[in-house]
Amino acid sequence: MPEPPTAPPPPDPTGKRILILMTSGPTDPDRSYAPFFTAALMAAMEIDTTIFFMIHAPELLRKGAAENIPLKKGGTLKHFVDMALENGVKLVVCAESLRDLCGMTGADLIPGATVAGAPTMADLALDSDSVLSF
Amino acid sequence: MAFINGCEIPEDLLYYIERSQMTWVRVEGNRATIGATDPAQARAGTLLFLRVKPVGTVRARGRPIATVESGKWAGPIIAPVGGTVVEVNTEAEKDPTLLNSDPYGRGWVVRITLAAPAELTELLSGEAALAKFREVIARDQIRCERHHP
Repeated sequence: MPEPPTAPPPPDPTGKRILILMTSGPTDPDRSYAPFFTAALMAAMEIDTTIFFMIHAPELLRKGAAENIPLKKGGTLKHFVDMALENGVKLVVCAESLRDLCGMTGADLIPGATVAGAPTMADLALDSDSVLSF
Repeated sequence: MAFINGCEIPEDLLYYIERSQMTWVRVEGNRATIGATDPAQARAGTLLFLRVKPVGTVRARGRPIATVESGKWAGPIIAPVGGTVVEVNTEAEKDPTLLNSDPYGRGWVVRITLAAPAELTELLSGEAALAKFREVIARDQIRCERHHP
């Protein structure tokens, strides 16, 4: 799908914040799409929504990875990654997991993903109204 | 009435076609009824969930006014024009498949009073709307089957 011509509407600044922790990677496709779908729905409800990718999850955001992860329900993971981005979900990747467990750098990630350290995860968790983990 | 790839596009409505949005607007005086178009419902698939902002909510143009979910899509319905919610289709909230089966009728989503009627001039109608629908329907390979299964 082409890039959207305009940015998604920003979340309601007076609203809620959710942090979703994702740890599974491409070796377990069944676990891959629910965080993106859940996040997309929450962002559509004007909740400020961030997914933090750690352990093996950064692999899901490697350029070209999502389109090669087929889902039992049909299609590929890319559909759900695109939906999350389109709805304004923030994708934040753990710097340590990216480098030490996945052997990747920030340049390997799809546009829209950002890299941050564990202290950022701590801040996100403390600043959120709720934290969900997958 | 026009059809593009089986998708019904009534010619008496105004349309908001931006990003993932394909929304219709019917204006009656100072009120506007808003709903999802036939190609929008076809692209989303069978809807499982609809939640509309409650009566009294003031929404600026471009802000979410409802949330919809199908098994394969979740996203907002963006207010194509600004205003105040005066009526919510509670029947469709109970049975969101009305948006699939009757998108321009019983599947309407929300009614608002217009904050700035001049915003209506930003919406598409006639051949400009059809051209944009043709582009999006081709791009996203949408096929509607309500009329031509």
